[in-house]
Amino acid sequence: MEILSYGGGVGSMAEPSICVIIPAYNEGRVLADVIGELLDYNRSYHLVVIDDGSTDDTSRIARKFPVHLLVHPMNLGQGAALATGIDYALRQRADIIVTFDADGQMRPADIGSLVDVVINEGVDVALGSRFLTAQPEKMPAIRKMTLKLATVFTRLTTGLKITDTHNGIRAFRAEALRRFNITQNEMAHASEILSAITRNKLIYREVPVTIRYTEYSKGKGQPISNAINILFELFSRGTK
Amino acid sequence: MITIKVILIVILLIILRAFLVQKSLILVKRTVAVLMFAGLLFLVLFPDVSTWAANKIGVGRGADLLFYFAHLFFLLVAVSLWQRLMTLTSAVTALSREIAIKNAVRPEETEQSKPTED
Repeated sequence: MEILSYGGGVGSMAEPSICVIIPAYNEGRVLADVIGELLDYNRSYHLVVIDDGSTDDTSRIARKFPVHLLVHPMNLGQGAALATGIDYALRQRADIIVTFDADGQMRPADIGSLVDVVINEGVDVALGSRFLTAQPEKMPAIRKMTLKLATVFTRLTTGLKITDTHNGIRAFRAEALRRFNITQNEMAHASEILSAITRNKLIYREVPVTIRYTEYSKGKGQPISNAINILFELFSRGTK
Repeated sequence: MITIKVILIVILLIILRAFLVQKSLILVKRTVAVLMFAGLLFLVLFPDVSTWAANKIGVGRGADLLFYFAHLFFLLVAVSLWQRLMTLTSAVTALSREIAIKNAVRPEETEQSKPTED
């Protein structure tokens, strides 16, 4: 069980063990590139791919790489997949846990800057923000509007002064993740994580990251209308 | 007036039967179901009673009174089914999570001899 022992687990003075959680649902087309890019960037990261009940060859492709592969027997949603990955990483005694998307939107190099902030600045959570850079690259205007509205909503409901509420690239100190569970199976988990930060008084910092809007990712990403669904999920299930 | 009464009574009895044939149903639920259906049958046979009750509490027609209560009842049913669904969803999630973690494929078990073309 102690295979993730690069740094000797929690509390070790050696290199911390870093787990990158990659939820994937029908990402067969791009997964190989995404994993390849991550391995090129840093081979010491432990990649944990969660195949969230895909109907395509996501699992088959993941098996070609030196990754941890977890397969949900059925599709449960991105939040559930993240929670599974986090649960696994904690059981493997990871020191730092990073959440990352499988659709190729995120740059592996940004993991490095998030992890640096967690290690060197003593924060519990480093959150990626695409709005801290000079100008986000080619973001569709309506998406930008929706995200801005979501930011205002988050500031009002959680009191967190952050610039980007639904960015999936984050780095957590493992101990911080032991203090709460993700219960939102679908897309509202992003807001749920932010509420947990407020509730547990976690120390957080936003770090500028770049999100690449490719044709593929635009097709795979959430439709703007999903903002309504997220609100509905939040209100109907509440946050435990 | 007789026709509609016959139709309603037949439908009520069919639903009641479907309800009672479930062997797993506990006695309390059986009793409540029988009483409820008896009440409905009574209202079908003597519709004036509902009008009388409606007037007592400031509603014009008996049918309206039943309409309001039916709405509230189905709202209650929807809420309790929703809660049940949420409970089931979290059970299924926990189960799937355990299965996924138990069957995790570790890096050394994958075909990592041939990583990528890079």
